[in-house]
Amino acid sequence: MSSVEALHDQYSQELKGFGASLPDDLLQGLQGLSEIYDQSQLEQWVKIGVNLAHHSLRSWEATSEFFRVSPEMAKKLTFSELKQWSEIGTYLATDASLMSVAFIKGSPSALDSLNFADLDIWAKQGQRLCRGNWKSIALAALYFQQSASLLNVLSLELVDRLVEIIDQLTERSYELANSVLESSYDIFSNLAEEDREPFLLFAKSVTRASWADTRLYFERGPKLIENISPNERTIFLDLASKVTMDVGRQGFPLFVDAAQSLEEIPLEDQKALLLFATNIAPNSAIAAMEYLKSTPFVRSRLTTEQMERWSEVGVELLRMGNAEGAEAYFRLESSRAEEMLAALSARVELPSVSSMLRMYAKALSGEQVAVLSSEDLVDRNIGWISEAAPTTEGTTIYLPPFVNTFEEQGSNFQVYKVFTTHQTGRLEFGSFNYAFNLDGQHTESSAELRESDQLQNKLSSDAENTDEDSHAQTVSTEIQRYFNLFDDRLLISGIFTIVEDTRVGSYVDREYGGIRKWLQRLQNWEVDRRPEVRAMGLRQAFVENLLRASLGRPDTIRWPQDRYTTMQKGIRALQMVNLEHATVQDSAEVASALYDIAVLIPNVPLESADVEWEPPDEEMIQIAPDMPGGGEGGEAPMPASGDELDFENPEQPEFRGEFKPELVQLMMKLKDQQQGQTDGTASPLTKEQLMELLQNSVEITINEWAEGDLASSLGMFLDNLEKDAGTPAGEPKEQSGESGDERGGGDGGDDEELPVEIDWFYYDEWDFRASDYRPRWCRVGERLGDEGELDYYQDILQKHHGLVMETRRQFELMRPESFRKIKRLEDGHEIDLDEAIQFYVDKKAGVGPLARIYTRRNKIERDVAVAFLLDMSASTDEEIEKQRQKYQEEEEDFQDDPSKYFQWLAQRRARQAIEPPKRIIDLEKESTVLVVEALEAIGDSYGIYGFSGYGRDNVEFHVIKDLEEDFNDRVRKRIDKIDPVRSTRMGPAIRHTIQKLDDHDAKVKILIMVSDGRPQDHGYGRDRTEKEYAVHDTKQALNEAKRKGITPFLITVDKEGHDYLKQMCDDIGYEVVDNIESLPRRLPTLYRHLAAE
Amino acid sequence: MTTIEQSQGFKQLAVEDFRISEEPFYLPISDEVELFESAYEQKIPVLLKGPTGVGKTRFIEYMSWKLHKNLQDSESGVPLITVACHEDLTASDLVGRYLLEGEETRWVDGPITRATKVGAICYLDEVVEARKDTTVLIHPLTDYRRLLPVEKRGELLEAADGFILVMSYNPGYQSALKDLKHSTRQRFIAIEFGYPDRDQETEIISKESGVDLSIASELAKLAEKVRNLKEHGLGEGVSTRLLVYAGKLIHQGISPRRACEVAVVWALTDDLEVQRSIEEVVTSIFEE
Ligand SMILES: Nc1ncnc2c1ncn2[C@@H]1O[C@H](COP(=O)(O)OP(=O)(O)OP(=O)(O)O)[C@@H](O)[C@H]1O
Ligand SMILES: [Mg+2]
Repeated sequence: MSSVEALHDQYSQELKGFGASLPDDLLQGLQGLSEIYDQSQLEQWVKIGVNLAHHSLRSWEATSEFFRVSPEMAKKLTFSELKQWSEIGTYLATDASLMSVAFIKGSPSALDSLNFADLDIWAKQGQRLCRGNWKSIALAALYFQQSASLLNVLSLELVDRLVEIIDQLTERSYELANSVLESSYDIFSNLAEEDREPFLLFAKSVTRASWADTRLYFERGPKLIENISPNERTIFLDLASKVTMDVGRQGFPLFVDAAQSLEEIPLEDQKALLLFATNIAPNSAIAAMEYLKSTPFVRSRLTTEQMERWSEVGVELLRMGNAEGAEAYFRLESSRAEEMLAALSARVELPSVSSMLRMYAKALSGEQVAVLSSEDLVDRNIGWISEAAPTTEGTTIYLPPFVNTFEEQGSNFQVYKVFTTHQTGRLEFGSFNYAFNLDGQHTESSAELRESDQLQNKLSSDAENTDEDSHAQTVSTEIQRYFNLFDDRLLISGIFTIVEDTRVGSYVDREYGGIRKWLQRLQNWEVDRRPEVRAMGLRQAFVENLLRASLGRPDTIRWPQDRYTTMQKGIRALQMVNLEHATVQDSAEVASALYDIAVLIPNVPLESADVEWEPPDEEMIQIAPDMPGGGEGGEAPMPASGDELDFENPEQPEFRGEFKPELVQLMMKLKDQQQGQTDGTASPLTKEQLMELLQNSVEITINEWAEGDLASSLGMFLDNLEKDAGTPAGEPKEQSGESGDERGGGDGGDDEELPVEIDWFYYDEWDFRASDYRPRWCRVGERLGDEGELDYYQDILQKHHGLVMETRRQFELMRPESFRKIKRLEDGHEIDLDEAIQFYVDKKAGVGPLARIYTRRNKIERDVAVAFLLDMSASTDEEIEKQRQKYQEEEEDFQDDPSKYFQWLAQRRARQAIEPPKRIIDLEKESTVLVVEALEAIGDSYGIYGFSGYGRDNVEFHVIKDLEEDFNDRVRKRIDKIDPVRSTRMGPAIRHTIQKLDDHDAKVKILIMVSDGRPQDHGYGRDRTEKEYAVHDTKQALNEAKRKGITPFLITVDKEGHDYLKQMCDDIGYEVVDNIESLPRRLPTLYRHLAAE
Repeated sequence: MTTIEQSQGFKQLAVEDFRISEEPFYLPISDEVELFESAYEQKIPVLLKGPTGVGKTRFIEYMSWKLHKNLQDSESGVPLITVACHEDLTASDLVGRYLLEGEETRWVDGPITRATKVGAICYLDEVVEARKDTTVLIHPLTDYRRLLPVEKRGELLEAADGFILVMSYNPGYQSALKDLKHSTRQRFIAIEFGYPDRDQETEIISKESGVDLSIASELAKLAEKVRNLKEHGLGEGVSTRLLVYAGKLIHQGISPRRACEVAVVWALTDDLEVQRSIEEVVTSIFEE
């Protein structure tokens, strides 16, 4: 019997008592160790295992693992080390056998990365996670399981950090701790080695600041930093940790934003940005992250140097200790930031110049043109343009949303100007006025001839085909009829565009010498970007060459030497439209002639070595305009039409933009039709006609069009077009009436109840911390107030009959307000010296009929406009009694006399039974009625508005009566419907009212705001409880009013109002109406004082 | 303003001996010369209507000269007496008044009285500015009676042969309050003065300012464009007068862009945006 068997036999029995599998495990271990250990060592080893099994309740499981793993461990450890190892296992088993099992099991692979000496540290890390409950035990076990592999990717020290994080998470959620631990290996093995430590460091900060974000960070972090330059990741993560330590839970979202922004920055540029951010981080960590967040946007506008200057301003704010200001600055939520950006940026944005350009275009063309962003046109989906290029449809000039072509702002503005001038030129010089077969200034029209030829040909071919109805062609517009003359629509359209643009360009050049320089600069800019002609088919090269000549650069023409006469003929013809007084009719004729030339040129590539593509000679550049005559000949014949390339019209130069004469004429016609301006002869366009025009037109770009079914996309296009022109074409009226009757299945748009029409306005908001405006921060939605019952108004009038009469009288008294001197009166206040002398002289001469020597100051019409702004916030719903209670309770505590209290209570109930409790809003309404009555008596113009809303995007502005509006029943009804809605964001409401008053013409302007408390709204301040921000913004808005020459006045029924009112109203009038019920009486009186000042 | 100053002011204007001896440059825009001559012949009062600076005053000077020339009578001829009307203009200011001289009083004819006596063209500039009770004064003078009542002296003055009353009136910027009474209005035939067309304006500018035709035509073009912006707070389009100013500055060597800036852009409006767009029109037309 071998010693192995002996030992096995000796202990199996004892071991079996712990667990049935133990003897087998023992045997397995013994067999593995017998080669390595001597007898006594083996015996000691078995005893260790047995002792372990005895150690605690389930420690036998550890024994089992110990037996099984030992042979492997023995290969790595000395016997005494093995003993130490088992001791570790034992003390872990004291805490939890499961943990011990996991430790023992994980040990061999852990030793791959650890010294034996570290094994203890490692064990302690696991032990730290174990807190005695089963969740913690499972976690600790998981730790030993995972860390074997983790140790391959993280040093023991870093694992220690990880454990710290996990340990912290356990205080919140074991589930989270588990999942973080489980994902760790994947994450860290995928991270670059040098990123692991900073990643962990930041993780630690995140966990400390907002534990719940840890999971997010582990999930998204690696991806987020993936696109950050490997060299800079550490810097970034370090920065993020620092920031998070500084700002707490905000840190992680800032990190995410910043990382996403950095992704958009080329790797090589990230360093400088991160360096800058790191530099400012000590002053404001938030500013640093906001800076990173804004960089892609800022960089899209500014060059590197400009950006430095832009950042410098933010740094200056930091230096002055205005961290909040700097943060807002870098967040781009400050006017200063935007102004700097706009001032530094070379890019010119359309909104900043559009109204000016509109006037410019109007001046040039003498027409009521609008200027809009071409994005609008794209959105309208009438297939006009697929990208943002300048164009016009006859009444509106569409321009790209911004221009970024050159490096200085001034130049880019000039680009806009050239765009506008060219588009305006199409209107001014009549590009859309083509009339069929009208002669030009320099050419005679051949259109009619061509048409009859065409018909002739058709007839003869029809005779052969015996096809009946093929010549029933319908035409909708003059230009369509012209285009119909040509078989190749694409070609004629391309040529006509070039010719007509040449003509318009020529006019612009002649008429507007001042922009000639810029026109040329853009022409050259375009020419430099033209594609290589040599690679084109010959016909396409011909057209491309025409375009180059048209851009004033015939020197860039390239054309086969031996066929130069053809090109020459083309250029000559084109020159015709450069002649003074050329009209669109000339363009059409020249285009026809060019078409005739081009159509004979096969579109084959001609790049063989024996053909020389020559630049033109001097003569060609200076060529005189002439229409092509018959057969000049003498040049090499055109190559045989072989493998023709697809013909494409040359790409339009950007400054000329899209030219769509066919659609424009169509739109004009549709519009005329809508306005009933069709002259008797022309019948309205039918759907068929339109479809035909659109099908043939090459001016439409509908992207999906080619594959999709033509009919339906055409139909859609037509719908959009008609919507744009304002009317459906040729649609009988009854039909729409019919469908209107069947309710329910409709498309929603024509529902009975009209949706409330809301006009949106944007206003800045004052951020007192940053001492700067947040640009376009609030969105105010103006809408008409709902209408209620007329009775309400009448009721109030009756109820307050006496008061109404009284206020009316008082108001009538104040009518004369500003005076004017009236002269030559027989009686008056003052003597007019001039007149007196005259009288004296006349008297002396014996004439002087009457002593009209007095003057008097006389009243003239008042010129006062007032806007009332009513708080419609939810709090105005509060019953007045409750309010009163709030104030009175402290004073009247009924001296602990319950009977008095009950008496009071009963009284109150009785009162309420007679009259429903009044709310603040009711009093606001009643006051409104009184004020209206009074104002009607005095004749001042007035507006009544209510405001409420929720959040900065949705400030509701209800128009009860607009300043310009007359007082009528609808207004009366609206007063009934003044109802409490939501919060009180005063600033934007005031600003909108200011706008209204500002647009109104009056000498004296007054803004009276009636509210029930302090301004407050979602996001109107740093957090829910902060009041400062809202108060400051409101104050600023009131100051803006003063600056505009408006007298603001605040009335509040909030007794607690004194403190913030004092702050808000520095030198602005306000009043706290103590007795709320006196508001209806008080308001008119107040107004009287205000307006009489 | 005192009476004495007033009368001094009028003295300078109301010299019935004043003749226009040299032919003023006036470019007829349409048939106004003919119309005026006929009206003069038939003794019909004339109202000149039109925006500021389109040559109403120049026209009347020209007509005065021309009618004078027609008469071939260098002695009496057709003098021109102009009265600038204003709010405080009284009947005495027009008709005449007594002045103190030592202890004596002396009657001094007002401009309208002088014109009536010598048969002059009496030109009431900006007549709507005058008070209504003053304008009524001219009623008997402007119908078939052709009489001027001189109230203070208890006289009725019959107008001499060559007398004609002409008023100017700018309908553009008058408020509704200051309109002419119908009874006043209907005593006149109205000759409307519009802006000259581009070629005419070119000629006027060039002649008046001395700039060559090409610059003059650019200025005229500018005027045409700016007039398209009339409703943008420009009470009125740019006047020929301003263009002549611009031309004169250019003639003196100021660059066209700068000349237009001071003579046109800033003179027209204070609205920055409108200014800017007019400036852009200027820079489109004139090279640097
Ligand atoms: N048809 C014209 N022929 C010659 N000069 C003209 C003509 N029209 C305008 N002008 C020029 O315009 C200037 C202004 O004209 P004028 O002073 O006559 O204007 P007006 O109509 O009397 O203006 P206002 O109503 O302001 O008095 C003249 O000095 C002259 O240079
Ligand atoms: Mg004048």
